[in-house]
Amino acid sequence: MAAVATTQHDHAHVATHDAAHAHDHAHHSVSFIRKYIFSTDHKTIAKQFLSTSMFFLLVGGAFALFIRWQLAYPGEPIPLVGKWLPDTLVSNGAVQPGFYTQLVTMHATIMIFFVIIPMATGAFANFCIPLMIGTDDMAMPTVNMVSFWLVPIAGLTIMSGFFVEGGTAAAGWTNYPPLSASGTGHTLWVIGVFLVGFSSILGGMNYLATTLNKRAKGMRMFDMPLTVWALFITSILQVLGTPVLASAVSLLFVDQVFHAGIFIPENLLTSTGGLFPNGANVGAGGGGQPVLFQHLFWFYSHPAVYIMILPIMGVVSDILATFARKAIFGYKAMVFALMAIAFLGFVVWGHHMFLSGMSPLLGTTFMLSTIVIAVPSSIKIFNWLGTIWKGNIHFATPNLNALGFISTFVCGGLSGIFMAIGPIDVYIHDTYFIVAHIHYVLFGGALFGIFAGVYYWYPKMFGKMYNETLGKFHFFLTFITFNLCFFPMHMIGVGGHMRRIHDPYVYEFLKPFQPINQFITIFAILMGFSQLILIFNLLWSLKFGRTAPRNPWRANSLEWAAPAHPGHGNFDRDITVYRGPYEFASPQSKRDYLPQWIRPAHVDAEQEATVVGKH
Amino acid sequence: MFDFSWNMLTYFPPGISTYSESLDDLFRLVYWISAAIFVLVQIVLVTFIFKYRTRPGHKSIYYHGNNVVEFVWTLAPTVLFAGLGLYSDEMWKVMKYSSRVPSPDVEIDVVGQAFNWHVRYPGGDGILGKRHARYRTAQNLFGIDPTDIHGKDDIVLTGEFNLPINKNVVVHLSSVDVLHSYFLPNFRIKQDAVPGSWIDVWFNGTKSGKYELACAELCGSGHYAMRGVLNMQSDADFATWMDAKITAKKAILAAQVANPQPEVATPAPSSATPAGEHGSSH
Repeated sequence: MAAVATTQHDHAHVATHDAAHAHDHAHHSVSFIRKYIFSTDHKTIAKQFLSTSMFFLLVGGAFALFIRWQLAYPGEPIPLVGKWLPDTLVSNGAVQPGFYTQLVTMHATIMIFFVIIPMATGAFANFCIPLMIGTDDMAMPTVNMVSFWLVPIAGLTIMSGFFVEGGTAAAGWTNYPPLSASGTGHTLWVIGVFLVGFSSILGGMNYLATTLNKRAKGMRMFDMPLTVWALFITSILQVLGTPVLASAVSLLFVDQVFHAGIFIPENLLTSTGGLFPNGANVGAGGGGQPVLFQHLFWFYSHPAVYIMILPIMGVVSDILATFARKAIFGYKAMVFALMAIAFLGFVVWGHHMFLSGMSPLLGTTFMLSTIVIAVPSSIKIFNWLGTIWKGNIHFATPNLNALGFISTFVCGGLSGIFMAIGPIDVYIHDTYFIVAHIHYVLFGGALFGIFAGVYYWYPKMFGKMYNETLGKFHFFLTFITFNLCFFPMHMIGVGGHMRRIHDPYVYEFLKPFQPINQFITIFAILMGFSQLILIFNLLWSLKFGRTAPRNPWRANSLEWAAPAHPGHGNFDRDITVYRGPYEFASPQSKRDYLPQWIRPAHVDAEQEATVVGKH
Repeated sequence: MFDFSWNMLTYFPPGISTYSESLDDLFRLVYWISAAIFVLVQIVLVTFIFKYRTRPGHKSIYYHGNNVVEFVWTLAPTVLFAGLGLYSDEMWKVMKYSSRVPSPDVEIDVVGQAFNWHVRYPGGDGILGKRHARYRTAQNLFGIDPTDIHGKDDIVLTGEFNLPINKNVVVHLSSVDVLHSYFLPNFRIKQDAVPGSWIDVWFNGTKSGKYELACAELCGSGHYAMRGVLNMQSDADFATWMDAKITAKKAILAAQVANPQPEVATPAPSSATPAGEHGSSH
């Protein structure tokens, strides 16, 4: 009963708080700007990451639809928006070749650096780590604030490329030189990626420090939920990997601006037939090596794939266990598998470069190390299946998305085997097979997991329940359209369909694939517009959603010990941890869950106080 | 004319190199293994979702896992996937290891230039002239050494070129500007063309006909149209075609000797007077 009382007090406090704002800012200790804009509260920062990423998700999604339109109906004006775009980008409303290369570049850049990474780490790590380890905030709140504000600055820097001469970056999200070594748009891209990388490093350091130093009384590392474990391991990747990306783009910057020729070989020609400006053009041999950039880039960007997927694996684990009302099968095996994936992630970057001309012997090495990653990934899949085995599975929206994640991640993982095998990669490299794979992993995998997590923690984030019917509707529409959109890409990939081509039908052998491209595009459009349901649901529920109880999912981890809509400082009680996070269906409790914070001697009485519906 | 199928194996373009069939076989092997795992996992997933769905009176069990099971499902994929990797390595060696490249019957240079493919044949003397990046200009894309007599009669073609069937062809591949990727779908060949490096690719085509050459690495706004055509011919047809090219080249060289024109002569190495300024006027 104590908990109930405290929460009511909390609500009353919030109400006064708002009144104070309406009345006079100066009378309150935290100004509006410090509370909502330059906030140091990890929950506000998480929401800032979330809303920024949602915005970029719509931008990146729109770009994807432009791409799809062009592939299905090349030369035809983009419906609705085509006529509003400037002539530098479109001709008669249809995507021009130069704009097309900008679109593929910006779509991937936005989705990777401004949607998935900020969501998976920025939003979830910020929201979940302090709450799930039972502490009041991050170890370094101000650093945390800076780590968020670098993201919109970086985003604006990259997007501003659309307004400079020559247009925005157009060398693919991998931004390989020499193509990326000239043009203002590419320099802005480099600056933007450097900044967003800096955000990632700051975030990662903070998550590490917080997890190591601020866990609640009694919480050992192996009492942490898998979400926290996954974010912890991801943070190590961020801190170790991102500086290498920073070095790659910094060196590229030096090439772009000072013509140092680090990645530019001797006597390179420009598109006009002139010589590419390069300090090494001395006629004496030497010059730079473009493949060096690829090594540096992928040394970060392969682990970056795991930065995008590992947190999601953690989130999905927690959601599955909660909704199956059953402990994680093989908790420690799950942790070790995460560690194994993270470690192996650093020794496989060469599989992106099987065709770069590196030593074939090195290719063998990378082939074997890459294929071994399938092992920890399989362990995770099997353990998830083991978790729902003999469970009592509830089908709330978070769990539907989590189950959808498993289903699509299996497909994305298996298609990865093909490209891990060097000789097969020779054929499918840079084809739509790769596009299918990355979308199965990053949309089907990461994004379904992100949806799962957003629905799951929405009540704790905003104190309201989202609309369950809309949530389910959004999931089923997305799941079906996703598969019909991306699965056929495997097929045209096997047919040899290259990626990043403005008009595939220049090639005789690709002409038969136009109907499939149209099929894909129809479902891409449907999938894109289905996301408006999500946005509507999240916004509508803010105002009209049912007020959330403290622990709506009857879950065990510490965030559910906090008030329904926790204020600054998070917890209204002392938190001590007595057990692991997955004591579902424990014989020690009459209920099918036993939260981490419940005192062993008071199991029944204290749980009564946190029961669903009362808050 | 075009049959839709959900089986991706039906989409391969016809393979016509000596190793295209074994590569497709490897693909099929991986495909069927993956398909089996995929179907199995989805069946288990759907079965569990159905069987253990919540309903009145149904309860979950209190269970944290089993180390024997963990061991088994760690070992099984390790054996399977490591085995697959080791098995595939043979194919990789065949395609890539320089020690495994057969002795070439035909050697050519190929360079990518946004947005064209250029090919250099050895010409009448059968020897490719020496080349170096320092000699490269917009007029001498291959950087042919002007002092090497073997380079004089080399034949350079753009876009469309011929090769004989049933011969080991070694392509020395590079680029003059940005990264390109030399993609012959029917030969199951793809290799990045990296400026500053010469990378060898080999194949042996078994069927005559015209085959498309694509650029598979984003190289600028015209990337999509960087298409070439490879005309595979019988030995005799190729010899006839080549002889005609050689004769034509000899005529051009003879005309140059009779009436030397400075701008047709092999360009000077780039030095203090950058060829770039010269080239940019084109």
